[in-house]
Amino acid sequence: MKRNGVVILSIVLALFWLSGCTSMEASKKVPYTLTPQGTVVWENELEFKPPPSGWKLIRVEEGGEFGFGFLKKEPGPFPCQTMFVYDEDPFGVSTRLEEREQEFLRRFLWNACLQMQVLEKKEMKVFGGEGLAVVVEGKDPVKKEKAKSKIVFGKRGDRVVSFYMTQWRPLDGTFDHSAFDTFDQFVASFKFLKKSFYETL
Amino acid sequence: MEGHQRNLSLYERFNARVVGVSRDDVKTLKDWAKSLDVTFPLLSNVTGFLGSAFDVKPTNELKYYPLFGRRTIIIDKKGIIRYVRDGSPDFKDILLFLKKLNQEGLSGPTTGGKP
Repeated sequence: MKRNGVVILSIVLALFWLSGCTSMEASKKVPYTLTPQGTVVWENELEFKPPPSGWKLIRVEEGGEFGFGFLKKEPGPFPCQTMFVYDEDPFGVSTRLEEREQEFLRRFLWNACLQMQVLEKKEMKVFGGEGLAVVVEGKDPVKKEKAKSKIVFGKRGDRVVSFYMTQWRPLDGTFDHSAFDTFDQFVASFKFLKKSFYETL
Repeated sequence: MEGHQRNLSLYERFNARVVGVSRDDVKTLKDWAKSLDVTFPLLSNVTGFLGSAFDVKPTNELKYYPLFGRRTIIIDKKGIIRYVRDGSPDFKDILLFLKKLNQEGLSGPTTGGKP
């Protein structure tokens, strides 16, 4: 039997393994450039159409769950806001989109204690290849909040990547579907300018 | 841990294997691994001596029951610690380091601890 010599010892001795709170902070170094066509080139690797004004760029500096995204505070009482992100390492491990979607939803917004219900699921083209889009909605009757999310899975090389958007409202609030249109335009415009780290490793 | 699971095939390519260590009990780890589809070994070290042995910094979250922060350690086939990083694992950094070790020939089959 083959034995491997290098051991990666990942010591996670805290009891709160899954309580990873992500701090979001805008980077001091600007990681993007604007093109004459109105698109954004991100770290010379990605290109996309940015959302209109009112959306604030958010990034995770270290150990985050996603790379970057956009946040919009919306009129109305707490928790009225919408956020969408591009995530190169979405929750889950499977490289099959159907399985990954189920793994993802087991973890997605888990600490918000929402009972998520799948409203819509459909196959679609993402980056010209296979893709899967899922719309879910959940309610928290205790906090009197609700959230609606759309998650889009695609492939970059062999690995699954995702986009997801979550809109929060008070329980009696109304969802703003124009934000989902913005998200769809962002996803549709998204392209890779070069091979990923994993494809060139 | 889920990130390590995603990278198992890449670790295999570089002759590396991953082991997780936690102070949680075996039952908790079994359930946790099942919930995340983690297939690599997880070691239950309830007393926490491995944390002390690897000089992991304790946190102050619970008095009289030291918790430990996250630390990633890479040990080569000679048993030498070659990489230490506190906090969340930087998977790209880990993979680049393993690639380098593999090229150096320090991640081949072990002697099983024998000279």
